[in-house]
Amino acid sequence: MARVELRNLTKSWDAATAVADMSLSIADGEFTAILGPSGCGKSTTLFMLAGVYRPTAGDIFFDGARVNDVEARSRNVGIVFQSYALYPNMSVLQNILFPLRFQKVPDADRRAREMAELVQVGELLDRRPSQLSGGQQQRVALARALVKRPNLLLLDEPLSNLDATLRLSMRAEIRRITRELGVTTILVTHDQIEATTMADRVVCMANGRVEQVGTADDLYLRPDTRFVAGFIGSPPMNLIEATVHEGAIRAGAARIAVTGAEGTVTLGLRPEMLHPAERGLQARVAHVEPMGRERMTTAYTDFGTIRFIEPIAAPARDEGELMHLQFDAADTILFGPDGRRLPGARASLPEAAHA
Amino acid sequence: MAQSEITAGAPGTPIRVEAPARPDWEMLARQSRRARLWKNGLLIAFLTLVSVPIVLPFFWMFVISVSARTGGVESDVLWRACAVLVPATFAYGAAHVALPRRKQRWIAGGALLAAAALGLYLMVGEALHLNNYRFLVNPNLIEDIRGAATAGGQFPWVWTAFANSFYVATTSMLLKVIVATLAGYYLSRFAFRGRSGFLQGLLILEVFHPWMLTIPIFLVIFWVGLLNTLSGPILVLTAIDLPFFIFIMKGFFDAVPWDIEMSAMTDGASRRQAFRMVVLPQVRAGLIAIAVLGFIKGWEEYVFVTALRTGNSFWVMSTYLYYVAEDVMGVDYGLVAAVSVFYILPSLVLYLFCQKYLTQMTLGGVKG
Repeated sequence: MARVELRNLTKSWDAATAVADMSLSIADGEFTAILGPSGCGKSTTLFMLAGVYRPTAGDIFFDGARVNDVEARSRNVGIVFQSYALYPNMSVLQNILFPLRFQKVPDADRRAREMAELVQVGELLDRRPSQLSGGQQQRVALARALVKRPNLLLLDEPLSNLDATLRLSMRAEIRRITRELGVTTILVTHDQIEATTMADRVVCMANGRVEQVGTADDLYLRPDTRFVAGFIGSPPMNLIEATVHEGAIRAGAARIAVTGAEGTVTLGLRPEMLHPAERGLQARVAHVEPMGRERMTTAYTDFGTIRFIEPIAAPARDEGELMHLQFDAADTILFGPDGRRLPGARASLPEAAHA
Repeated sequence: MAQSEITAGAPGTPIRVEAPARPDWEMLARQSRRARLWKNGLLIAFLTLVSVPIVLPFFWMFVISVSARTGGVESDVLWRACAVLVPATFAYGAAHVALPRRKQRWIAGGALLAAAALGLYLMVGEALHLNNYRFLVNPNLIEDIRGAATAGGQFPWVWTAFANSFYVATTSMLLKVIVATLAGYYLSRFAFRGRSGFLQGLLILEVFHPWMLTIPIFLVIFWVGLLNTLSGPILVLTAIDLPFFIFIMKGFFDAVPWDIEMSAMTDGASRRQAFRMVVLPQVRAGLIAIAVLGFIKGWEEYVFVTALRTGNSFWVMSTYLYYVAEDVMGVDYGLVAAVSVFYILPSLVLYLFCQKYLTQMTLGGVKG
């Protein structure tokens, strides 16, 4: 179990930079998720931690000791791959025993069996990986990664090959096991639900850079950048690009007052923060999508297409219906031209538009 | 269908919709059984027919080797044997088509086999003998026939040639397997300058027939002093097969996911251990395939073993067979056929046992 620190970590290939100047520190026993779209450098970071890739620049510390030059096999890192990467020529027990073959462990067999019990594959020890279901393979991969009591557990998209129900139960299962063992864990995923439900802390990455580090609530309610605002949340935040002129952004007759910002801005409005009202921003309903608990409506406004959410109990709207939307100034977020949030900036509908 | 459309088109107009006739399942099943019977029968007949030109020469060779007495060509035994075997083959085909159950087929096959054996015994039984195989136990074969030493002199015992052939085939096979495996792995896993050029080069080498290089190869072998040694052909054969084998092995390694190797290395294995414990077991089929192919190619080699010796410095099976045919030409076809059968046997056995892996080889190769 270890404290992990990345300092100005960079990895680039000939022309492309996969990870740029990444700094991050992870406490002992913490469960951290690295979240980002595919190609954002999250897997590269993981492989640098595992010791498979060597960083181009920057340092990796385990418990304060620099491990850049320590080989993968000596780092004592457990890793679960998206493909599980079980050894097809070995039985389940042999797979779990494999990491212990390289350590002088007196009671290897007992430890492997205990670990198999912990992940609930105790009855499958003699099977081959090809005879297991996806969920079982997943558990075996987890047992293999954990059996050597690793400093650090790395999970590379571990749930993406499972069906939806299994994913739900494995999410809780992985959380239970890592908590039980108290192992420092880093999960890499492109699925925000996976990241926010499992991790203590989420690192959101884009284009090789860290966009924001924080709890799930931080990322959702207080996104630092425009990217995070658009990436987190489903349906995503409405982003309106406009220019602030004389304290307001205008489109046709419509006008939204803006304080604390000037020039080109992006206005962010969460779909659930918009409410239908008697007066406000005029909108014409384009289409309505029932989503179970709530109903998502897409509407055209002078500022572009906007999505908002209403409880399913509210009366359904007709396509083409004219309506008005209202929002609280406190719920608005504004981003500057560099994509960073402008703290203190707020947007509101002018008084005249209020009821 | 037409009626329902009318109903839909003219609402309110009463139209009598006839109940669909109940299909005669019995008849349909009979029809499809009969069709399948015809199809299978024709297929088996066709395949049997086209395999005749392939099987017949081998069979004839075998028949000559166990029946020829004076060395002359006697097709009499062959025809008599065929008179038993052809009906037996057709009868087996018919039984296979007509009998649906596996167990019934086995019983029919066994019965037909026994009948064919009995028929063969009655038809050609007394014509068979093993005298042509005396070369296996007689070290001075040609001297016994001619009563004097042969023109070339030092004509060896067949087991000497067999041992040499085995040595050439095995050694070159080992070299091919080791080099092709390591090279294939490196080409599959590592990016290095000139990698694509190297791969293209491998393919270009396949375009030229190695026989074109006979004279340069002879000169090279002469200069390095390996003329008239078995090492000469071993090295040349290895070099000739390597490009293709490397390509095959690269294909097999490409099919092994990178994840598994990374996983082994994070589990504490060194790269070499990961290769040995995790990657190699997964390319087993490829290893067996190139080993078998490599062995057979060394076993059957004639051109380079002949080209790289100037006298009778070494004998292998192919040169042995050639000289038996030369020296006793017109005298003993039976002997030549018997030597041929003996020569074929190892390749045939190997091939039969490893057929499964050889077919996988083409798949692995395509993937590459």
